[in-house]
Amino acid sequence: MRKFVAVTFFFATVLFVAISWGENLSVLAREQYSGETGIDEKVPDKDIIIKNDEAELTSPEQAVSEETPSINTPVPEVPGDETVRGAGISDNDITEKGEAEQPELELAEAETEMPLVKDPLESFNRAVFIFNDKTFHYFFKPIYTGYNSMVPEKARVSVRNFYTNIKMPVRFFNCLFQANVKGAGTEMLRFLINSTVGVAGFLDPAKSKFHIEKQDRDFGQTLGKYKMESGTYFVWPFIGPSNTRDTLGLLGDAALNPLTWVSYFFLTPIESLGNYTYDTVNDVSIDKGNTYESVTKPAIDPYIALQDAYTQNRMKKIKESPDYDETID
Amino acid sequence: MNYRKTISAVCVGVFLMACAPVFLWAGDEPGKLLMKTIDSGLTVLKDPSLKGPEKTQERRQRLWEEISFIFNFEEMSMRALGQHWKKRTPDEKKEFVELFTHILKDAYIGKTDTYSGEKIVFLREKQDGNKYATVQTKIILTTGTEVLVDYRMLNNDGKWTIYDVIIEGVSLVNNYRSQFHSILVKSSYEDLIQKIKEKQGKEEISTK
Repeated sequence: MRKFVAVTFFFATVLFVAISWGENLSVLAREQYSGETGIDEKVPDKDIIIKNDEAELTSPEQAVSEETPSINTPVPEVPGDETVRGAGISDNDITEKGEAEQPELELAEAETEMPLVKDPLESFNRAVFIFNDKTFHYFFKPIYTGYNSMVPEKARVSVRNFYTNIKMPVRFFNCLFQANVKGAGTEMLRFLINSTVGVAGFLDPAKSKFHIEKQDRDFGQTLGKYKMESGTYFVWPFIGPSNTRDTLGLLGDAALNPLTWVSYFFLTPIESLGNYTYDTVNDVSIDKGNTYESVTKPAIDPYIALQDAYTQNRMKKIKESPDYDETID
Repeated sequence: MNYRKTISAVCVGVFLMACAPVFLWAGDEPGKLLMKTIDSGLTVLKDPSLKGPEKTQERRQRLWEEISFIFNFEEMSMRALGQHWKKRTPDEKKEFVELFTHILKDAYIGKTDTYSGEKIVFLREKQDGNKYATVQTKIILTTGTEVLVDYRMLNNDGKWTIYDVIIEGVSLVNNYRSQFHSILVKSSYEDLIQKIKEKQGKEEISTK
C-alpha cells in the first residue's frame, strides 16, 4: 500500500513538473511533429535557419523606404524613414479596425523588408525578359516535356545527382572562401561517400542514408559576404536574372567547375555546349519549370515579380552564410 | 485497504483529467494550428473521391473552405499596397481586398492540382512577443528537393492568422508590393485595378 502511494505521489510530482514545463514540452512535441507522416524529421543545420531569421528581424535598416519615388532609382536611405512609413500605414486602418497597436504595426512593417533594386537598364532588361520567357515556353518547355515522357523521374534525379557531385569543388571552395570550414568538410565527406557508395555520384546516399546536407554555396554569395554590393540588375539571355555581383559570381563558379576544364581540354565547343544544355534541361525537367512559372504566372507584372523574387532569394542565400555581416545589402 | 486504493486511484484520475486541458490549450498555438490546417487541406487533396481533372472545381472549393480561414487577407492586402493603402477610400479598400484575395486563391489553390504526395514537415516556430510568430516548415518534393516555407502569423485576439508566406526567402507580400509599387509610381491606382481585373479575366477563361 505504502509503495502504491509512493509511486502515485512520484508520478503526480513528475506530471506536475511536466505541466509547469508545459511550454517547453509542447515546444519539444511540436519540434517532432511532422505534418504528413508523423515521422521525426531530421532538421538540417538549424543554426543556419535561425541565423537567417534573426538577420531578417534585426536588420530593419535594410528595409527599403516606401517613400522612394521610384523603385528603380537608387535612393540613399533616410534615417528615421521607418517611423514615417509605420505611421503611414497605421493612421487609417487602425481606427478602421478598432485596434490601437501602432508601435507593433511599425515593428512588423520594419520586419517585412523590401530589397532595393537598381535597374537603370529596365527597358533593355524587359526585352531580354520577354525573349527568355518565349524561349522558355517555346524551346525549353517542349524539350523537357518530351524528355520527361521518355526518361523516368528517378533517372533524371540520378543525372542531376551526377552533375551535382561533379560540381563539388564549386561548393567546397566557396565554403572555404566563406570561412565555413565545417561546410567544406561536409562537402568533402559527401563527395567521398557519393563517389564510392553512391556509384560515381548517380545516387545520393550521403543525404538519404547519412543525412548530410548539400552546402549550396556559390561565388556570388562569397562576394556578398565580403561586402560587395549587388550592383545593377541584369537579365542575361538564357541565364535569366542576375546582377553585377552575381555575374562575377557566375564567372567564378565557372572557373571552379571541373566541367568547364573538361570542356576546355577535352571537348569541342559543340560537345561542351551540348553537355551544358543537357545539364540545364535535366535540371529544368525535374523542376518542370515550376519555380519560374509559380513566380511569373500569378504575377500582375511578371518582370518585377521575377526581379523581386530573385533579389529576395539571393539576399536570403547570402545571409545564410555563417557569420554574415548584416551591415550591408 | 481496497477502499483507500480506490480513493487514490480516483484522485490520480481526477488529477490526470485536470492536466488534459493544459495540453489541449496548446492547440491554439500558431504552429499547431497551421499544421492542423495543412493536414486538413492535405486530407482533401488525398481524398480519392475528389481525384481527377473532372473534380477539379469541387476539390478546389473544398480545399478553399478548409484552409481559407487561416489567412488574413485584409492584412495581406494592406501590406501589399504599403504606403498606397492609406490613400484609398474604405470602398476601394474593400474592393482591393476582394481582388487580392481572388488573385491569391487562383494562384495558389490552382497549384495544388498537381499534388502528388509531397510532404510538409514542421521545423520550428518562433514567437515574437504575443502578437507575431514565424512558423517554419519545409516541403519535400517527390524528387527529394526541399523547399523552405515560412509562415508569418499575427495574433488577433487569440486567433492566429497568416499575413505572409515566405518561400525560400521570397516573401509573397513583398513580391506583390514591389509589383504594385512599380505600377503605382508610373501610373494610377485605377490602372492597377484595371490590370488586376484583366489578369483575372484571363485566369477565368483559362480555367474554364
